[in-house]
Amino acid sequence: MLTFVARRLLLAVPVLLGVVFVVMLTVELIPGDAVALMLGEHATPEAVARLRDYLGLDKPLMVRYAAYVGHLARGDLGRSIQQNRPVVDELADAWPATLELTVAALVLAAAAGVAAGVVSAVWPNSLFDAVARVGSLFGLSMPVFWTGLVLIVIFALWLPWLPVGGTGSLGHLVLPAVTLALPSVAMVARMTRSSVLEVLREDYVRTARAKGVAERLVVSKHALRNAAIPILTLLGLQAGQLMGGAVLTETVFAWPGLGRLMVKAIFARDYVLLQGAVLVFALAFVLINLAVDLAYGALDPRIARQG
Amino acid sequence: MTRVRFAFAALVALILAGAAGLVAPAPAAAQKPGGTLTIVRPTDPVSLDPQLETTAPGAWVYFNMLEPLLTIDEKMQIRPSLASSYEVMSPTKVRFKLRPGVKFHDGTPLNAAAVKFTFERALRGTPPARWASLAGPLAGAEVVDDLTVDVTTREPYGPILRTLAMYCTGIVSPTAVQKMGEGFSRAPVGTGPFRFVEWKTNTHVILERNPDYWGDKALLDRVIFKVVPEEGARMIALQTGDADMVLLPAPAQLPQLKRDPKYVVHEVVGGRVVFAGMNAAVPPLDDVRVRTALLHAVDRKAILENILEGSAVAARGVLAPSVFGFKDMQLDRLYPFDRAKAKALLAQAGYTPGPDGVLQKGGQRLSLSWLAARGRYPKDGEVTEAIQAMFKEVGVEAKVQFLEWATVFTQFRSAGFKDHMFTLGWVTSNADADYSMYALFHSKQIPPTGWNTSRYSNPKVDALVEQARRNLNQTEREKQYGEAQDILAREMVWIPVYNTKEIVVTRAGVKGFTVHPVEYNLWLGKVWLDK
Repeated sequence: MLTFVARRLLLAVPVLLGVVFVVMLTVELIPGDAVALMLGEHATPEAVARLRDYLGLDKPLMVRYAAYVGHLARGDLGRSIQQNRPVVDELADAWPATLELTVAALVLAAAAGVAAGVVSAVWPNSLFDAVARVGSLFGLSMPVFWTGLVLIVIFALWLPWLPVGGTGSLGHLVLPAVTLALPSVAMVARMTRSSVLEVLREDYVRTARAKGVAERLVVSKHALRNAAIPILTLLGLQAGQLMGGAVLTETVFAWPGLGRLMVKAIFARDYVLLQGAVLVFALAFVLINLAVDLAYGALDPRIARQG
Repeated sequence: MTRVRFAFAALVALILAGAAGLVAPAPAAAQKPGGTLTIVRPTDPVSLDPQLETTAPGAWVYFNMLEPLLTIDEKMQIRPSLASSYEVMSPTKVRFKLRPGVKFHDGTPLNAAAVKFTFERALRGTPPARWASLAGPLAGAEVVDDLTVDVTTREPYGPILRTLAMYCTGIVSPTAVQKMGEGFSRAPVGTGPFRFVEWKTNTHVILERNPDYWGDKALLDRVIFKVVPEEGARMIALQTGDADMVLLPAPAQLPQLKRDPKYVVHEVVGGRVVFAGMNAAVPPLDDVRVRTALLHAVDRKAILENILEGSAVAARGVLAPSVFGFKDMQLDRLYPFDRAKAKALLAQAGYTPGPDGVLQKGGQRLSLSWLAARGRYPKDGEVTEAIQAMFKEVGVEAKVQFLEWATVFTQFRSAGFKDHMFTLGWVTSNADADYSMYALFHSKQIPPTGWNTSRYSNPKVDALVEQARRNLNQTEREKQYGEAQDILAREMVWIPVYNTKEIVVTRAGVKGFTVHPVEYNLWLGKVWLDK
């Protein structure tokens, strides 16, 4: 188990180095120059050249890559080009907010999605099932910025229960978390429904029912546990999705997270800051995948033995 | 040696800026001190130090903490700020008397050494300040005595006073810079009516009243600048009472807000001209008949009424009216919307109707390539498309390519820019014609050196613009810029479309606020709350 974790973490190193290279190459390939953008329309060519030289941007791509990786190995993420501030500080300001929002949305997605999916599966084609299915179609189809604004109008303007945006209290978290979670709730509900329905048709469920196990236990112990693997896989994928897809939610609700930081870095062509943010995301993906794999083992001992 | 007093300078500026047309500030009668003003705006500052930040999100905040030697008021008059008077010693030297008894927020006294330190840091720091390129040949400052300082330029520089009145030339506390190191950029120490309290990245910046301010003390206890990126959410924050003031409000909601007594829409014509530029170096736009034909083909009134819906006014030339040296080019008289005239001019230039409705000459279709960004300036994409359609009406094809701003910016500034047309907005940052006339129309400023993206070249304009740049006599300068604009008006290389308005919406209870034609100058020193 420990060797498994260690091996996976070691494998993450080349992944992260590759990510750094791809980001650097992309910023290099897209037109637009960080320094010219930063100094604005009025900058003289000499001023641009001087600042480029100062920032080391005039060096070839491979030299900059090597320098970046060298610093990275010593735990130094560099300085943001635009802010002239350590990237670590920029990230430290942003990642707790992103983590808070992602975890809240994920918990919501898992709880609401699994509950709705199980109820739909146990009473298929019931009124609840119909409503849940239409509802999940709605949740999947509506763009986040639209749902977000509608929720703000309802719960902040008409019924002044919750704040319009920003961070601070638990109240601030409710609307962005719900907005971000909605599409995931819908996906999890659909996956849970089909997965549980499938398991409920299995022989061992019929056997359990035949030997008189209470229906509640049949569903929770026999069906749900066996249906859990695909749901868990989906939740793992959703966690990544929620983190990355938070950009729009963060924008609508003025949430000070990594998504907005990244967009800002892209528009400013600030590749150092961008790389820092992408590395955090990449690392999070690696860790989530690892967590999902470990959870498989806990749910199904056969997988653990193979690992 | 000429002694200049502020009363005289103010009088001249008043005459020059007569066109700005502003509302008088609220009467000082019932001012109530206290309270917190919450402002929502779309983006967080890059930094709170002009050394690193010249864009609006930072300037809005530091303008209330850091004060320059001079300032420009809402009527575009030069006013004393930290300097109480000045004297032009020579074409390259201006002597300033500093206001006595002024202290920075950290208790350091303001003196000539602090002014010298600020300019040294900006002009010779590693790297130099981001505003250094805005300051032309500004060379630095020399201490004469504790409260007297000489500001010098490398060559005679007419716009020097307006340069030293720019929002980003605020004097910083030398002790604070030395003590705080790079931390200064996130918590600046100046002399302004407000001082720094807290900056939570991407969330808010908080300022509080400076109780030791040298002038009329601020009335507000605190100011909170919140980040709300989404336009709709900013407007809702105003309605729920979460915000007292909205910067960059949603234009579509303005007519409704203007009718609602609960809110006040503050607006003034700003310093930016948005235009469709023509590249005079490539045929067929090297022919002035074709260029003027295109001006006649554009119905600017329709664009302003139907696309901009009151959020802008028709441009009256290549400069905005609030800029020193502006001359009305009489565009509506010289180039009225007249399709018959446009077609006649194109016929004179040798174009005949082609089989597909597009004009042609010698088998060449009159087809223009056009590069533009979308969303850089209000409705720039829609305006570009409207002009494209208007061109079609007179038999001119325009092929527009929309790209993201960073890309467009690089292309505009490259020597190899070959497109016929481009959409651009230009703000005269120091409110002096030099800044635009020199960078945009001097033949030496053709990219990659400057922003003469029209590749305009006329030795007479070059000479006038150069003379005006080196002249410290403001009356003569104004005449020289006037002449240069007269020449440009005959040889138009732009289709000037509109001047942006600076628009700020507040709750009706927010008093004493006047919106400034320079978007960066968000002055809160006189604002008070009538709850």
